[in-house]
Amino acid sequence: MNIQTTNEKLILRIDGPMAALSRISAVAGNTLREAGRNKLFFGLLGVTILMLIFSILLSDLALTDQKIRLVTDFGLAVIPLVCIATAVLLGAVLLYKEIDRKTLYAILPKPIRRSEFLIGKFVGLSALLLGQLIALALCWAGVLHLRGGSFSLALAQALGLNYIEILLVTSAALFFSALSRPVLSGVLTMGVFLIGRITYVINDLMQATKGVFAEVPAMRALGRVLVAVVPDLSTFNIADELQAGIAIPPDYFVHATLYGLSWVGFFIALSLLVFERRDLV
Amino acid sequence: MAEHQDDILALEHLGKTFRVGFWGKKVQAVRDVSLTLKRGESLGYLGPNGSGKTTSIKCILSLIQPTVGKIRLFGEDPSNASARARVGYLPEAPYFYDYLKPTEVLDYVGKLYGLDAATRKKRIPYLLDRLGLSNALDRELRGFSKGMLQRVGIAQSLLSDPDLLIYDEPLSGLDPIGRKEVRELMADLRREGKSLFFSSHVLTDIETLCDAVCILDRGEVVAQGRLSDLLRMDKLESEALVELPIADLEAAKARLLALPGVEVMEELANVLRLRLPTDVVPGLTAAVVEIHATLRELSQRRESLEELFVQKAVHVSADGQRSPAAGKSA
Repeated sequence: MNIQTTNEKLILRIDGPMAALSRISAVAGNTLREAGRNKLFFGLLGVTILMLIFSILLSDLALTDQKIRLVTDFGLAVIPLVCIATAVLLGAVLLYKEIDRKTLYAILPKPIRRSEFLIGKFVGLSALLLGQLIALALCWAGVLHLRGGSFSLALAQALGLNYIEILLVTSAALFFSALSRPVLSGVLTMGVFLIGRITYVINDLMQATKGVFAEVPAMRALGRVLVAVVPDLSTFNIADELQAGIAIPPDYFVHATLYGLSWVGFFIALSLLVFERRDLV
Repeated sequence: MAEHQDDILALEHLGKTFRVGFWGKKVQAVRDVSLTLKRGESLGYLGPNGSGKTTSIKCILSLIQPTVGKIRLFGEDPSNASARARVGYLPEAPYFYDYLKPTEVLDYVGKLYGLDAATRKKRIPYLLDRLGLSNALDRELRGFSKGMLQRVGIAQSLLSDPDLLIYDEPLSGLDPIGRKEVRELMADLRREGKSLFFSSHVLTDIETLCDAVCILDRGEVVAQGRLSDLLRMDKLESEALVELPIADLEAAKARLLALPGVEVMEELANVLRLRLPTDVVPGLTAAVVEIHATLRELSQRRESLEELFVQKAVHVSADGQRSPAAGKSA
């Protein structure tokens, strides 16, 4: 086998932000391709679409003036939950699969920084989840249309905030995936999600005059820690306000987005800290 | 160790200790490994399983952080992407994304190296064709044999036309034809001036392809240097095939074995295959005449790398337990 490597000197563009972006997009593209082949992803997507269609039948059971509301509430509750479940299930194995299948050993010796690889993985999964959210939103909009309703700007805004929450959970999954094995990282990510959804309840309980969070010092301390270290995910859930017809001020969206993205940045920074030092034995 | 301009890879007192188990027990995988590889040189990295070869290679590629010591890759720390850009790496039993086709794997790798689309479009089919994969371009890697995966691994390692090739067991898993082809490819690359750093268990290949070797055992260097120095000419031995007279077999045999340094390698009826120091050959011929034996063959042999490897790296005791060789030299 006679092989001529090359006659001309190849130009390798590895320096500068554009080259870094190109590497990140290459990793993101591959992650998107891999995650998009996941049967679980398509299974969840298919089941949710069926459920949204089923909500038409369910709404027939409702009173005449409640039909549209039932489909709206159903979509507001189910779509974010399914996307979160996808984020947890795919995010928990995001790095582990690369290490377990040893694909990482062929990639990281290339001129790519570990931070670029990690961000690429996050961007790829986030893009997939955005696609999932948009697909479900389109289906939901179709169902609403069939019921005589419309997909309002308020619903789009609600889904927008849900996407910030999805990004936050994905970044938490990425962090735990850099630290531990899939089952543990899945459990820890679910823990962040569940506690994050009820931190406002814990806060209320601590401010009450009675109850364990108010009366037992240890529980009070635990409550304080949980409120401090777990993001308040209720910030991204405006379903109750929409149902009650309460208008959300525009600056709320800005603040909520900044709050969410700060947590995303925090989790990604932690993931980088762990992943940069990790020995890939 | 003074750093030289021509050194494209330098390891200085490299050591790696892992903590294993619940109590974090320390295991020294690599200890005090120092070596250099000069431009255009080819270095064989040898050692039994678990001797620390892959761990040191992973340190060189920044997959593992060394506990002690220093690594310079093209004069830079290997954690710098610019240093790794000049390296083509083939992992042991390469694993790639099995849902990709060979062209897609190489395209992905090409993007990581910052090759533009036109270069990738030109170079990828060329390499795949050269490595005999042009008839498998539309197949996903999941359907590839180990040998075909190895070829994809070699193709991706050559994509950026690197100056240094680091191959971890490049010949493992290949059939005899595949081995021959890869060996020839590596010889070609060497002729083109590429520097090679590769580990292998196939010692004859290392002997053919390398200028120098470094033998590791239990994480330590037990022998290192240029092959021409390690397999020195003064270690020349001779092999003789002698047919003894049946009438006085035992006495004739005793007469030959009385010569200094003569050992029986093989014995079949009255025919002996003997190993002896070359300077004893005149004594042997005289003794053969004296005992009326027939000298059927006489050849000169050099110490092989395999013998050096066994002598330096592995000592197998009578009960089958393997332990490090007693004498260690660098």
